[in-house]
Amino acid sequence: MDHQHPPAFFVRGPSPLARLTFFAAVSIVLMAVDARLHYLTEIRQGVSVVLHPLEVAVRAPVNAFLYVNEYITTQTNLVHENRQLRQRALLDSADLQRFRTLQAENAHLRNMLSALPAMPQPARLGEIVHSGRDPFSQKVIVNLGARHGITSGQAVIDELGVVGQVTQIYPLSSEVTLVTDKDLAVPVQIERSGLRAIAFGNSRNSAIDLPYLPVNVDIQVGDRLVTSGIDGVYPAGLAVGKVVQIDRKTYAPFARIACVPIAGIKTHRQVLLIPAAENVPPLPEPEKPSAKPSKKSPRNAPRKP
Amino acid sequence: MRPVSLKLIYLTLFAAYMLYLLPWAGFGLLLRPDFVLLVLLYWMLRAPHLCNVGTAWMMGLWLDIASGSLFGQYALAYSVTAFFAIYYQRRLVLFSAWQQVGYVMLLLLVSQIVLLVIKLMAGNALPGWCYFLSSLSGVLLWQLLVFSRVIDPDAKNAS
Repeated sequence: MDHQHPPAFFVRGPSPLARLTFFAAVSIVLMAVDARLHYLTEIRQGVSVVLHPLEVAVRAPVNAFLYVNEYITTQTNLVHENRQLRQRALLDSADLQRFRTLQAENAHLRNMLSALPAMPQPARLGEIVHSGRDPFSQKVIVNLGARHGITSGQAVIDELGVVGQVTQIYPLSSEVTLVTDKDLAVPVQIERSGLRAIAFGNSRNSAIDLPYLPVNVDIQVGDRLVTSGIDGVYPAGLAVGKVVQIDRKTYAPFARIACVPIAGIKTHRQVLLIPAAENVPPLPEPEKPSAKPSKKSPRNAPRKP
Repeated sequence: MRPVSLKLIYLTLFAAYMLYLLPWAGFGLLLRPDFVLLVLLYWMLRAPHLCNVGTAWMMGLWLDIASGSLFGQYALAYSVTAFFAIYYQRRLVLFSAWQQVGYVMLLLLVSQIVLLVIKLMAGNALPGWCYFLSSLSGVLLWQLLVFSRVIDPDAKNAS
């Protein structure tokens, strides 16, 4: 087809600068609309359905490779793993027995206090399909979506602790923001002392920060952070992180506390999606707008940047 | 030299997009070259009357949809990069292979820097220097393809 219009070298249409101006303007408008009005979410959901079969097709060879790899794992490996698992099952069963008695005792105590019964947590088992494509944010895509009854704001955990929170729903998949993302805040409690705090992700080195705590706070290296459960998103008592470094500078207003996540957010493939608690009373209306800004976590889906 | 058909351009762009959709993770994600931009640059050098700023913008939109981040950022980054590629295209095809590689590296960096500026304005933290590794791997891939004679950016417009 190039041979039909001879001087293609000279015929170039509008100048590159004109094209750039036009397309750059359109992109900036799109970005502004997306950032301010969040109007494009529906459009993106629609297109993601079209994209889904492509992603599945692309993933197929990778999955096949992983499957074959798994299949030819040597027997010694399996025997070793089996032994380990058996030991762990033994330990767990001991814990489980204690858990049952504790649960019974807890129910009894709650009855005595005539408190609200703790709600059962039917969870969905999901699988991490791939990690987010944006190297700036710590996100993963899970194979459960709106079709499976997943809603935005659900907590995501694995067998070790909190993985993150569902932040965006697509029809067949959903996006989970990990606890190490800087936009995710988790209300936590230090297991040893019971001190409440907010844990923020630190995207840079996949760690968790514990900001806004005074320099003389009662915290030690090795302390475990567990969810406090006061936000109604995360059930209480799930492990979030472990304190690895405390930096108490006398001239700084706050201590710098670095934690590592306990959940296998980089290694595990299976996660549990816990439905948000239903009968949480609504937040009271703020009485005075001049009240000092609270540093509480965003309640439901913290919108990505 | 074979004439370039529009079909071939879209086919290669589609293939690059599929490569982008692969489940990259961890170090692979850091090292992932920008396949789509490389293919775009190649076609812009080779056939600027078929592949221009508009094509780059459209591919950018598709990447925006797949990446799930702020809509329009890849579109803007690719348009700017395409502008620099198209503007100097006639000089670029006369460059030696090494000069071309240098310019391709510059163009890849331009697209990453535009993306970086957008992200910073949207409130993201500054990433480490590792962020620019993908430009490096991209230029290595380009050079590998030039050496292995899969692509030949010196080929003039089929005319």
